[in-house]
Parts: sequence; C-alpha cells; structure tokens
Amino acid sequence: MARRRRRGDEGSWFKWAMLLPAVIWVIAFTFFPLISVIHFSFANYVLGQGITGYVGWQNYINVLESADFWHSIAITAIYVAVAVPTEVALGFLLAWLVSLGAAGSKVFRGILAAPLFTMGVAIGYLGVTLYTDQGGPITLVLGLIGIHIPWFSTGWGGLLGAIILDVWRWTPFVFLIALAAIGAIPTTIYEAALLDTRSHWQIMWRLALPLCWPVMTVAILLRLIEALKVFGLPFALTSGGPGTSTQLFSIADYLTTIQFFDFGKGSAMGIVFLILVSVIITFFFRQMRRNIE
Amino acid sequence: MTSDTNNAENFKDLAESYFRGRIDRRRFFELAGALGFSATILGKLVRPARAADSDLLPSDPISPYEAPITKQRVAWLKTKPYKGTTINVMAVKATVGDCIKYHAPHWEEITGGHVNVAEVPIETLHTQIFADLASGLGRYDAYQTGCWFYGDFFVPKDPYIVPLAPYLADAKYSYWNPDDWLEPMRKLYSWEGKVYGSLFDGDAQCLYYRRDVFTNGDNQQKFKQKYGYDLPAPPTTTQQMHDLADFFTGWDWNGDGSKDWGMALHAKVNEQGFFHFLTLAAPYVVSPENKYFYFHPDTMKPLINSEGHLRALEDYVKFLANGPREEIAWTLGQGWNLFLEGHCAMEPTWGDLPTLAQDPKSSKVQGKMGGGPIPGTTEAFNPITGSWKKYDLNQVGNVNGGTWHPVLSRLSKHKEATYDFMAFMANRKNAFFNCTHGWTGVQPGMKWEYLPPAGTSTIAEWQAQGWNASDCAQYLGAYYANLTLPLQEEYLRIPGAAEYWHELDLNISAVLAGQMKPKDALDRTASSWESVTERYGRSRQQTLYKASFS
Repeated sequence: MARRRRRGDEGSWFKWAMLLPAVIWVIAFTFFPLISVIHFSFANYVLGQGITGYVGWQNYINVLESADFWHSIAITAIYVAVAVPTEVALGFLLAWLVSLGAAGSKVFRGILAAPLFTMGVAIGYLGVTLYTDQGGPITLVLGLIGIHIPWFSTGWGGLLGAIILDVWRWTPFVFLIALAAIGAIPTTIYEAALLDTRSHWQIMWRLALPLCWPVMTVAILLRLIEALKVFGLPFALTSGGPGTSTQLFSIADYLTTIQFFDFGKGSAMGIVFLILVSVIITFFFRQMRRNIE
Repeated sequence: MTSDTNNAENFKDLAESYFRGRIDRRRFFELAGALGFSATILGKLVRPARAADSDLLPSDPISPYEAPITKQRVAWLKTKPYKGTTINVMAVKATVGDCIKYHAPHWEEITGGHVNVAEVPIETLHTQIFADLASGLGRYDAYQTGCWFYGDFFVPKDPYIVPLAPYLADAKYSYWNPDDWLEPMRKLYSWEGKVYGSLFDGDAQCLYYRRDVFTNGDNQQKFKQKYGYDLPAPPTTTQQMHDLADFFTGWDWNGDGSKDWGMALHAKVNEQGFFHFLTLAAPYVVSPENKYFYFHPDTMKPLINSEGHLRALEDYVKFLANGPREEIAWTLGQGWNLFLEGHCAMEPTWGDLPTLAQDPKSSKVQGKMGGGPIPGTTEAFNPITGSWKKYDLNQVGNVNGGTWHPVLSRLSKHKEATYDFMAFMANRKNAFFNCTHGWTGVQPGMKWEYLPPAGTSTIAEWQAQGWNASDCAQYLGAYYANLTLPLQEEYLRIPGAAEYWHELDLNISAVLAGQMKPKDALDRTASSWESVTERYGRSRQQTLYKASFS
C-alpha cells in the first residue's frame, strides 16, 4: 500500500516536472506581461520619472473618447476585411490550379512562396520604390493604360498599396496550406466526382472546398491574427500617413507607447484592442465550428 | 560720473557683442581691458572654454586628422590612450550618421580605441535613445541627438547626459572652442547655460532658388507683365514667394520638354516635414512684440491654434499646388532631388541642398544656386495679446532642424574615450570637412566657417572642397543672414517636444491630404498638446519651457 502510494507520488512529481517549463513560459511571457500592461493602464507614466501616479480609469476613458483610436480600429478593420479574404480566395484558387497540374506549376510553386520569406519592412520599403510617381514601375505600367492611382498622396491610395503588398506577401502562406489540404483528399473521391461532372469549377466549389474547410479555417484564423497585428509593412510604406489615414491600430499603439513613452494610454489601448479582438476571434471560432459540424 | 556711465554703456554693448558671437573671447578681453575692467573680473564673468589656448600648434604628424592641436594632446596621443577600449555610439541612419562612421577609423588609428556606430532610423531614434537610458541599460556611450530631444534628457533628477565643461578644460582632448559658435547655435548645444553637445551640425532653414532662372531676362519680363513688379531674387515676403511659386509652376522653364515646378516640399508624416510649417509660420506669429510661438509662458496653454498659426497653415497649404501632389508623402531626399535634377525653382530647406548641389554626379544645378533667409510677412498676430499688427517687413530667423550632434551619456563607462571621439569630430579640420561636403549632412554653426567679415574662412578653402564660388557665397550669405536676424523663432526643447511636434505633424499631414480643415487640425493639435502637458506636469513643463530659452 505504502509502496503504491510512493509510486503515485513519484508519478505526480514527474507530471509536474514535465509541466513546469510550460507553466514558467506562460507566467513569464503571457501572464506577467499581461498583468504589467493592466498595471500600466491605470498609471500616469512619464519618461525619465516612471509612474508618477495612478489615474483610475482615466486612460481607458481617454482611449474610448479618442477619435484617433476609433479611426485606427476602423482602418485596421478595413485592412483585415479586404486583405484576409483576398489572400484566402487567391491562395486556394492558385493551389487548386497547381493541383490540377497546370503547365509550369512546379516552378510557379517556388516563385510564389518567395515573398513569404521576405520581411514586412523590406516589402514596405520596396513598395515605396514600386509605387512612387517619380518613375515607380507600377505607376509607369498603370500610366500606360491610363490609370493613375495616387498611392501616397491620399489615404485610400496608401491603404490600397499596403493591402496589395500584404496580399502579395501572404497569399503564398494560404496557398501552401491549401495545397497540402487539397493533396490530402483521396483521388478516388475526385474520380467519383468526375463521373458526375467535367467542370473543375464545380468540383472545386462543391467538393474540394468543403473537404478542405477545416484546414482552411486554421489558415484563416492564423491570417486574421497576423493581419490584426500587422505593423512593419504599412509603417515602412506610409508611416501611417498622410495624416492618420493609414494609421492602423498597431502603428497608433506603437507611436503612443514606444515612441512617446505614454505607457498608460498605450497599455489601455492594448487592453481595449485585446478585448475587441477576443470577441471577434471567439465569434469567428464559433461560426467556423458550426460550419464544420 | 559721465565717464563711468559711458564705460558701463560701452561695456554693456561689448558684452552683448561677445555673447551674440560678433567678437571672440580674446577681442572681448582686449576691448574690456581698454575700458578699465580687470582681467580677473572678466575671467570670472567669461569662463574660458579651454584650458590652454596658448599651447595650440597648427598641426602635428601624430594626428594628421586634427588641426589645430594642443601640445598636451600630442603628448597624450603618444601613449595610445584608449588601446583596448571600445565605445558605442548611436547615430541617425542618415547622412549625419554616415559622417560619424567616416571619422571613426581615423580616431581609432590615432588613439588605439574602437568605435561601434549603431545607425538607427530617424523615426525610431528617440525611442531607441530613451529606451536605452530609461531602462538603465546604458549600452551606448554617446547618442547623436536632435535638439528637440534635449528636454527629455533633463527630466530625471540626474540628467541623462553630462556637461562637457570639465572635458573642455582639459587640453589633452582634441581642440575645439565653444566660443566660436554663433549664438543661436550655442544655445541649441546647451541647457541652462552649460554646453552638453560637441560641435557637429548646425541646422537652419533658408530659401534656396535657381539664380540662373530668376535672373533670366525673359523670365523677368514675363513675371513683371503678370504681377506688375520686378521679379525679386530672392523674395523677401511670403506674397512674393507665392507669386514666384505660381509663376514657375506648370511650364517648361528649363527647356527639357517636361513641365516644371515652382516649389518643392517634403511632407511625409513621421519624418521632418513639419519643420517646413514651423519655418514658414514663424513670421505670422513671432514679431518684435512677441517671441513665443508654442506656449503661453505664464499658463503653458498652447498658442498653436492662434489666428496667426491658422493663417500660416492656410498659406502653407497653398504651396502644395506648386509641386508634385505626391510630395505630401516625400522624404527629405525626394524633395531635394526635384530641385537637384533641375525641375524646381525654389525650396525652403536645410543647407544640405546647396551642399549636395556641388556634386555633379547627382546635381544639375551646381553654379546656379541662390539663397536668402525665409521671406517675412507684413502682418503678424500676437497670440499673447490676441491682436494683429502691420509691419514693413517682419522677417524671422530660425534654427529649425535636428542640429544633430553627439551628447555624452551619464551611464557611459568610458566617458573620457567617448568625449575624446566627440571632440575629435568637433576639431576644426574635421568640422570644416563636414560642413563643406554634402554627403555628411552637416551645416555650419561656427564663426570660422563663414566668409569675412562674419567669419574667417575663405572662398578658396570652400573651392578646394569642390564648391562653386558663387554658390558658396550665396549659401553662406543666406545662412549667416538667417542666423543673425534680430528676430529668431524659438526652438522647442522641453520634455515631450518630440510628442508635441508629432501631434502637429500628424494634423498638418491630415490637412495636406485633405483629411482635415486647417482650423480643426490646429484645434486638435492644441488639445493633444494639453494632454501631453498634463501628463508631464504643467508647472514642471512651464519651468523647463522657460529654462529652454537660456
């Protein structure tokens, strides 16, 4: 009996030892920063003096009353709402075409994946040279067909430019996941479907997409999370301007917290955003789960 | 009695001349001595900048990069004093940062030390500097700072940076003399009368124009026909500047087959475009009756949404029609390129433009430069009394810009070696090299960099560095005239200055993009400024605001 209890104790110790690194990780890198951000969100922080006092909910009131904050949320929402569905649709479509064995698809697969390995900041700076009115290749080519887009002199132009680059960068991510998902569907199912219809469009829409949907859900979720946090690319491209017209939440929070050391307001912004995003992601998850079921 | 009164008056004038930088320290002593003032008293009044001016040698083979050099320095360098010492310097990722990198190997060669230069983009420089200092990490021994960061260095009880007086008094360091600064520049390198920065840059904005195009007979005739007065070169009022900008916009005045522009600006948000507004707005607000541009000195309430500022912003927006629409998202270099490629008639900007114009590889305008102080207004609003007043000409000088220079960190473990490197770059030979070469991004702040009678350099010295003689005379003339105008725009150096300016920058950019009306933009700026002031503490900000004028 005593022996059995000892063995049970040993098992329990081992279990906790195995869990410990994960617990330490969560405490150090999730729990502690979150508590710290909550703490700062109730404080008045001044560079060089640290916390000079506590202001209750004032930072939250300032954030919720700030037109700039809600503007940055709106810009982020537009960015995510346009970029993510475009990437998912394009990524899946390209994966489908490649899986059909279109000519040159092997080479295409490698080329398509290249932007994925490039830093967002580098792509942003590249965009400056691609879009500029002073001889930028994209502007020149569009000019040949009579299209002039004011990429940098208007808010919508800057946002459109950033979204196009984001789509270029992240479509390959969705493409790779979709390609794996499509490849995992047994060929017998395709063969059966081909007996009913010769339309590849019908097969993709009614067969491949529903079968790939659980995997695509993960891709959408990952893209959604990344797109909500996007910073380097739009910051390098427009710095949030002109004015605040391309100032996504991440840029607004960076400027408040990191550039001007207003840790109080910046932390409150972060918490409010976290709540908003948690609500969206939870809603999204539920809907996805329902669709899968 | 009368004689004493005259002497006192004469001494007052003399002291003013000295402190305004019109005469040097030695001349001040001579003239004051002639008025009967003892050298001992004068010595207490005017602390020597250096311990051993009399020990100066024109040069010495031990340091081919320094001239002049003190005897003590020669002896010191023989010991290779910093062998095994590594110092870390944070610099701006820009031409001025490249300049620090250029001098580092030379200093390493003569001292045995080693310099790591970390270049940081301007948009994150403030963050990086103060993250290093506020966290206590102190990974850097010196920072290349913009002058608007100064207030932030003085927020803690023990300021983040140290005064240079003890080092300046020691002749073993490379020779440079703060008494040689023009007064507006000296102020930027100092806090409450103490020098904290070593000589590097000297920013100010002037109006640069195409002298060849402005003096062209056809253009002059057409201009007179259209506007009814002679083409002014340079313009002295903002109205003239608008007329010129309109006149030179939209037609091919350089004969290359494409339409050209009247005025180039660079207005990308989070860069340095807001300096254009600050410079062009000054004569609408600063006047003989009012020196305050930013805050009411008694209440720290923002003045930025005054009627004068509003008219200045409305006026500024009109210039957008005189350049490519995309310039609202241009960085500095893009704005300069339009002028350097010969497509633009005017640009209000820093001295980099005429300096870069001297490089035939990147410029089509060498020998064609004209320059003058920023034009003034004939009416200014006093935001303290709330009234407009007319003037024949209200012209205001400025030192707008970064005036980028190194400051010594309190947390540095190698202060001696770091200061040695800073002083090395401030030595006359290196400083003159810097201000005569466009790629360094450095402009002149010392008297000896100007031409006589203001300074002691010569056209030949500038020509030896690749300058066109006429461009040189225009550039230095404009710069000196700007820095010695009786009215000077104040420079914001209180804590949070970067944030105050950022709020202004954002809102001006929104106006330029058509996102906001000028009045709304300035009201929003004022409201944001109030929040920043509250956060830092109003009374403390007020005290530091007043201190920043000294």
